[in-house]
Amino acid sequence: MKNNNAQINKEPKTSSRSLALTALEDFNGFAIYHSGRFVLFAVSFNTVLIVLLIFYFVIQQGLPFFKNFDTIEFFTSKQWYPEADNPKFGALSIIFGSLYVTISALLLAVPAAILAAVFLSEIVSHKIRNYVKPVIELLAAIPSVAYGFFAVLVLAPFLQTHFGLSTGTNALNASLILSIMALPTIISVAEDSITAIGRDLREASYGLGATRFETIFKVVIPAAHSGIIAAIVLGMMRAIGETMVVWMASGNANQIPSPWWDLTQSVRTMTATIAGDMGETSKGSPHYQSLFAIGIVLLAMTFLLNIISEYFLASAGKNSRKK
Amino acid sequence: MRFFIRHITDKIFTILTVLSVIMLVAILAVILVPMLRKGLSAIVFNGTIEFRKMQLDLFSRGDIDELKNEDIRSRLYRNKIYETIESFKQNIDSETLSDKAGVIYRNFGKELQRKNIKGAEYQKLRSLSRELRDKLQAVFKSSDKKFIQENISDVLKFKNDIAFKDTSIDGLFVLAEDFASDIEHIDLSRRQQYAASLKELENIITKLLGPNPSLPVPALKMDRYGATRRDIAEKLLNRLLWLEQWQQDSPGKPMKRVITPRAELFAGTEIEPLFNYIRENLDEILVFKPAFYWQYFIDDSTPGHYFGGVWPEILGTVFLTLAAMIFVFPIGIISAAYLAQCQSDNLIIKIIRMAINTLAGVPSIVFGLFGLAFFVLYLMPLFGGPSKPCILTAALTLAVLTLPVMIRASEEAIRSVPQSYVEASLGLGAGKLTTFISVILPAAMPGILTGIILSVSRVAGETAPILFTGAIAFGPTPKSIFDPTRTLSYGSYDIAIGDKLAALVPHNQYGMVATLIMLVFCLNIAAIIMRAKISRKLKGH
Repeated sequence: MKNNNAQINKEPKTSSRSLALTALEDFNGFAIYHSGRFVLFAVSFNTVLIVLLIFYFVIQQGLPFFKNFDTIEFFTSKQWYPEADNPKFGALSIIFGSLYVTISALLLAVPAAILAAVFLSEIVSHKIRNYVKPVIELLAAIPSVAYGFFAVLVLAPFLQTHFGLSTGTNALNASLILSIMALPTIISVAEDSITAIGRDLREASYGLGATRFETIFKVVIPAAHSGIIAAIVLGMMRAIGETMVVWMASGNANQIPSPWWDLTQSVRTMTATIAGDMGETSKGSPHYQSLFAIGIVLLAMTFLLNIISEYFLASAGKNSRKK
Repeated sequence: MRFFIRHITDKIFTILTVLSVIMLVAILAVILVPMLRKGLSAIVFNGTIEFRKMQLDLFSRGDIDELKNEDIRSRLYRNKIYETIESFKQNIDSETLSDKAGVIYRNFGKELQRKNIKGAEYQKLRSLSRELRDKLQAVFKSSDKKFIQENISDVLKFKNDIAFKDTSIDGLFVLAEDFASDIEHIDLSRRQQYAASLKELENIITKLLGPNPSLPVPALKMDRYGATRRDIAEKLLNRLLWLEQWQQDSPGKPMKRVITPRAELFAGTEIEPLFNYIRENLDEILVFKPAFYWQYFIDDSTPGHYFGGVWPEILGTVFLTLAAMIFVFPIGIISAAYLAQCQSDNLIIKIIRMAINTLAGVPSIVFGLFGLAFFVLYLMPLFGGPSKPCILTAALTLAVLTLPVMIRASEEAIRSVPQSYVEASLGLGAGKLTTFISVILPAAMPGILTGIILSVSRVAGETAPILFTGAIAFGPTPKSIFDPTRTLSYGSYDIAIGDKLAALVPHNQYGMVATLIMLVFCLNIAAIIMRAKISRKLKGH
């Protein structure tokens, strides 16, 4: 302010600088603008670099395994004896274990999550919604190791004493906790996509005399299906990549449950194998490389799921933009 | 009718959705309440005199004079326990008794030499005393009551012998008399059994009351003190009073748990009333007093987290988080600015967005693998550092992990700054950079801060990425960023699964995980409140 007053009080200078920039000023401005942009770009591009580095280093460490050992055996054999004199690397039951707990977790989580998403977006007022949302956020915020702690020290003894299971750390325990962990992801993405469906569709349906149940199941959910699928895929990604809970709660038995629907048996997942075995290996040994090979499989799976979810999210975005 | 069914379905559906949300709240409560309640018991509990002794010795904390007074009062009760056990032990322990008889016999020999008794007299007394000793030793080994009584009465015949008057051989007679009176209540055939039971009993009592003060101080800190709190004391008292056995009725049937009073093992002996004595006087023996152990958060722990707190873990978590934030904060903000400001949806932006989404979807354990392969095994040696897991590598790994959270939150915050702000600034003649730094950034700061808080809470809770890149379960406090550190997250894993000692102190197990949850929750609740304030403020515009 002071400065301005001083300037105003001064006699207006006749030789004020012309508005047109000199060539040097013009160049300077150009250089600063573009070099600034370049710095911004360079920093932002780090993310891409990091992703490439992750892929490069995990594959670089794991690739020798696929060269030196039988890849087909890796995916088809159940024999996993990495430290034996004649090591066997059959990861079938490990990969199966991961999918097993993930899918059973989703079977538990998806119905509950969609109901909750419908509740939040269709049924309650904005006010109640503001009270429920923090609950979901807190569920998402609990560290996975705390969930694992709960699974081992609270849920496992409970299952053992009240259901007469021989062990409390089994596929059921891991699936239950994983489903709780997948809930917040599925709910928030599904809720967003349901909310994004315009009022016109709903009002048309109500106008035809449909009940709320019919409107939601026959109009809203079909219209929001791509967002809901994306939500489920994202929940699946969360569950399949989860380490601490399955490591602590699944029992880590290298087996395919028989009969296959018996959730009360222990299983072993890819993430738990990496976490559990890495400490016992030496760098560069076949066992070490095999763990990176599992990492590659895991990375490929989540990358694939990621592409699927992005596809569905993009088409959900297009759908809602159309209206 | 048809309408009725539709109506009912609709109502049922509504109820189901309500139930699903109630279930969410219930799940949160079921998970949190037991963990936080038990975790709280690490701080607020009913402490014993052993707890106060431990605090004084290990952390020099507490009132010495008061503790001394308490100790003196407690000793009054304790000594009776120790004495009873000691005397019972003597009677069933034939070797100790035999040794004692041997010592008395040898002392007698020395006494004779001192008194200058020589020749035939010496030989006579010496052989007689040897005979007495051998008889007593045979008695101590025997389990035949008749044989014992005969032999003891044989020995006691010599009690009034003038030759033995006022000599040390008197000890033998005292020993014999004591033994005779004691064994009246003892079933001698069960002597072996008594010895085993007594050993177990002594073990439990040591755990309950602390080691016998007459014995040398144990080497391990965890063995130096008895039960430090009421719940553990009561658990031990239960174990003391009741004997748990697994029995099988007949072969092939499952084992059954049978609980009998431990006192039955010592029926008829002087030990038997001891059980009731301890139960009735537990308050006087252990001097319970409510304790508020807030120092749990600033104390180091003994191995296995048997005693002490979680200070090194908190410190490690804070260090890791700060270090990770130093890396992630500038990159996150700049990337967010770039993404938010470049409206053009060109290929580069698409690639960057895709990379962010991919990064967000990479499993945390793969970050661990990457951190191990890249930071620990490649980058550290490249810069001439030691190729071992340390705080730096763990922080870098966590920074990479939390980058998408940071970018997304900051971008959203920057985008939510009203366009009018930007236009006003541009209209005043400010350049794009000035506008960003002095207008957009301050306006977006609360939102960015929310993002930072959420990243911090994510970093503090992650375990899998730091498994191989810098977390240890037990070790010294790190001196530089090139040392590995203990963290709350890895500590929670280790205390639940890895550490067998910790299973003995459940309050410390829960205390650790409750500290972690509280830390993460405080951060998250702060973020939630802040976001609510921002959205209210934005609505006001």
